[in-house]
Amino acid sequence: MHTIFTRGNAIVAYTLSVSACLTFCCFLSTVFIDYRANATLNTVKVVVKNVADYSASREKNDLGYLTFDLKTDLTPLFNWNVKQLFLYLTAEYQTENNDFNQVVLWDKIVLRGDKTVFNFKNMNTKYYFWDDGNGLRGNKNVTLTLSWNIIPNAGLLPSVNAFGSHTFAFPSEYTSLRV
Amino acid sequence: MSSWLQYVKSIQIHVDYDGQERAEKLSRLIITFFGIVGLIWGYVTQQFLQTIYVLGAGSVMAALITVPPWPMYHRKPLDWQKSQSEVTTKLKKKK
Repeated sequence: MHTIFTRGNAIVAYTLSVSACLTFCCFLSTVFIDYRANATLNTVKVVVKNVADYSASREKNDLGYLTFDLKTDLTPLFNWNVKQLFLYLTAEYQTENNDFNQVVLWDKIVLRGDKTVFNFKNMNTKYYFWDDGNGLRGNKNVTLTLSWNIIPNAGLLPSVNAFGSHTFAFPSEYTSLRV
Repeated sequence: MSSWLQYVKSIQIHVDYDGQERAEKLSRLIITFFGIVGLIWGYVTQQFLQTIYVLGAGSVMAALITVPPWPMYHRKPLDWQKSQSEVTTKLKKKK
């Protein structure tokens, strides 16, 4: 502490230590918060096609096509340790090939300060709903689930499933219409 | 010009031992205080950035108060002994 530089250095170093300590307090204040919330999902139009997947094997695979409604209020999820949410919509189903399939159909980034009440109607999916075989036609038990990652300032990166999922069935005939 | 130079040379830039202790204690106190206030304010506004801003303000304030060698940090200079040659010459004069 005997020169200007040692005093300046001590202040910068101590400020850094205190900011680390405050960040840890911020993490502690939010670590036990329950980040689950309700979401209402519904499917509007559901068809299935049998077309060649040129990005993979060129064999004809089942391609699902659906539009969905999504209604949810994510306002309670935001606090001082949440920078953004990453929402993603997953379809889960069972086929003869695999006991458990998961396909991400849609996602969205919600930044702090963005609108947090959503009421989407008849939304298109963002990603193709490919099955790795012919497991979609006539599949009676496909479940849509909304999940989100919480991106914090400091701490854990939890992946949370919303309450409320929607189960739908694919038609038993392939469609020949362009969708 | 020479008087101006004299003035510059007369500015004390050293800090005595007591002043060093005071500067360190004061800077710790200011930064800790602003950190606690910032934590509360950030929690109230639910913006962690506000916490960091308040802490930064405390850091700047601590720097302004304790980095420059203000007069209050050299009020207790050490009581040095007179240099030995002077003492001996004085003793010789007494003889």
